[in-house]
Amino acid sequence: MDDGGHAYAIREGFRINWMNMRDAATGQVMWESGEWDCGQDEMEAQIPCEILRCKQISRELNFSSLEVLTSLRLVQSVIFKGEPLEEWNFHFGFVIPNSTNTWQQTIEAAEEEEMLPAELLSGNVVIETTFFDGDYPIMTQRVRIWYV
Amino acid sequence: MGLLGLLKKMKKDDMEARILILGLDNAGKTTILKTMTSEDISHTMPTQGFNIKSIMQDGFKLNVWDIGGQEAIRPYWSNYFENTDGLVYVVDSSDTRRLEESSRELKQLLAEEKLAGIPTLVFANKQDLMSAAGAEDVSAALELDFIGDRVWQIQACSAKTGEGLQEGMEWLVGNCRKG
Ligand SMILES: Nc1nc2c(ncn2[C@@H]2O[C@H](COP(=O)(O)OP(=O)(O)OP(=O)(O)O)[C@@H](O)[C@H]2O)c(=O)[nH]1
Ligand SMILES: [Mg+2]
Repeated sequence: MDDGGHAYAIREGFRINWMNMRDAATGQVMWESGEWDCGQDEMEAQIPCEILRCKQISRELNFSSLEVLTSLRLVQSVIFKGEPLEEWNFHFGFVIPNSTNTWQQTIEAAEEEEMLPAELLSGNVVIETTFFDGDYPIMTQRVRIWYV
Repeated sequence: MGLLGLLKKMKKDDMEARILILGLDNAGKTTILKTMTSEDISHTMPTQGFNIKSIMQDGFKLNVWDIGGQEAIRPYWSNYFENTDGLVYVVDSSDTRRLEESSRELKQLLAEEKLAGIPTLVFANKQDLMSAAGAEDVSAALELDFIGDRVWQIQACSAKTGEGLQEGMEWLVGNCRKG
């Protein structure tokens, strides 16, 4: 198989199954995506605005790969009105063929006084996650956040 | 920054530690992690790959890697050895028939060059079960007293009740080589 064929197979065999967000202090799920529709370019999440009062939140992502990957990494950015504000990189490295994997990231929330009100954030925040194998992009998913 | 307000900006030069959790299938690795993050443990499925928990606090970053323990997955364990700062080996203390198999896998890990000298914590898990062997019996079955090339510790625990988990992990993180 040539490189292009292999890259195609990786993409075809890769999927994000679900995502969720929790109050990290209690482990309580604040939002979960359910089965992910991979065909959708942007997905919407209705998140209870209480999450803005959580001291720590965790975001979890579950994905599968049919193919073996040697150098999986992810870039996740939080975008507010089109401006990237925060960015995380995570290097997974090796991915077992035919595997299902999860990555959960727990982060501290900002101090309450630094926080924008929910009305201002709602609908203007997008969490964008891109997976790469080495330098090669596999897929990008966007979740637009609505605080309800 | 901080304007988005959802998350604090990550500091530069943070300390980072990588913990690897291994052990036979059904030992309780994933349940241990879930209990430590207060998650519901009633629907835990066998791990068909890895589960990673990245925890960031006060500029300190902890990445915990839990890899599936099924026999078919074990040949892939070695892909996750690199840069490990601490090893957790989980044993189902109630499954006395498999202590020998568990001992064999641990010895192979301890012989790995990439894990040489890495501080090692053995969790004698499932202590809430009547049938569980005590930490001393698990230690004897795994011949831990013969480990001479690293700091190690055995900790009785129950992923179900949470007993022993914090003590064990605090010992390990405290013994990790830093930075
Ligand atoms: N009674 C009791 N059951 C436990 C304990 N820890 C785990 N279990 C149960 O043991 C089973 C296996 O737990 P897992 O956490 O999935 O085991 P694992 O080591 O992650 O297994 P693999 O992912 O296949 O490697 C589950 O049914 C758990 O509920 C414990 O401390 N006490
Ligand atoms: Mg597991």
